[in-house]
Amino acid sequence: MNLLSLMARHGYALTFCLLLAEAIGLPFPAAIALVAAGAAVAAHTLWGPYVLLAAVTALLLGDTVQFWLGRYMGWLLLGFLCRVSINPETCILRSAESFYKRGKVTLVIAKFIPGVNTMAAPLAGSMKMRFWQFLRLDFVGAMIYSLTYLLVGFLSRDFLKVVLQGFHAAGRAMEAVVVAALVVYAVYRVVQYRKHRMYRVVPRVQVQELAARLASEDAGKVQIVDVRSHGYYDSGGARIKGSIRIEPNNLEEELKHLSKDKDIYLYCT
Amino acid sequence: MLREKGFNTFVIVGGLAAWRKAGEPVESVPENDLVKLPTFS
Repeated sequence: MNLLSLMARHGYALTFCLLLAEAIGLPFPAAIALVAAGAAVAAHTLWGPYVLLAAVTALLLGDTVQFWLGRYMGWLLLGFLCRVSINPETCILRSAESFYKRGKVTLVIAKFIPGVNTMAAPLAGSMKMRFWQFLRLDFVGAMIYSLTYLLVGFLSRDFLKVVLQGFHAAGRAMEAVVVAALVVYAVYRVVQYRKHRMYRVVPRVQVQELAARLASEDAGKVQIVDVRSHGYYDSGGARIKGSIRIEPNNLEEELKHLSKDKDIYLYCT
Repeated sequence: MLREKGFNTFVIVGGLAAWRKAGEPVESVPENDLVKLPTFS
């Protein structure tokens, strides 16, 4: 069964489930579902307002869950959400920086920014935003996000038909579009992965190796450095005994605290 | 970047979690190093 016929039969439920999945942090490109739903609306198999209702409800429901989890689980949840990311550290930093920089309005545009989309709601919860204020801004964001991609699907349906005349049915064309979008998404992830692989050029040491060195006469030449972002520093947090902290976002300045006479051992969570 | 600046740098595999798991000593983060997150309230 192709996506369009699936949309025709279970379009509202499918839209709801896929967007809810994205809103609770699963790495699913829900925009594709919205584009397909938009095409189904153009084909008169779905009714636009109901699709919009399903999409916005799912997004608000998922975001609300994330908001309250963020309120009570804080950075633990953010760390967990970023585990599915290629580079969890960057994921948290990027999301947090964006939120700090843009303020509450981030919620309105967050769904369009990869990495920030799943982090915005728990960040808002962690940062003690008032729930009703969060809900208002998130509602606006969910509406803009849903309408944008529904409109793309709605408007592109005829265009796609012209471009993809060789296909037997519009459903096939939509499948091709979906596959193409998934390929683009996969390529994007691979590019990101390769980009972050450069961090691996730094030699890695096992804990036992370092512990043995600390227990030897050579311990004076060791400097252990905590490079976790401050977000990890919930009150009552712990660090490796004897380590110092440097702020990874302010490395130039922080270098003053390091000695070239010592071997630097970096760690995060 | 640290290596570019001439620091002999290594990364601890597994980070703090692996360190703790191995039973190596930890200490509380000093209050001075705590950076409170901004809040909207």
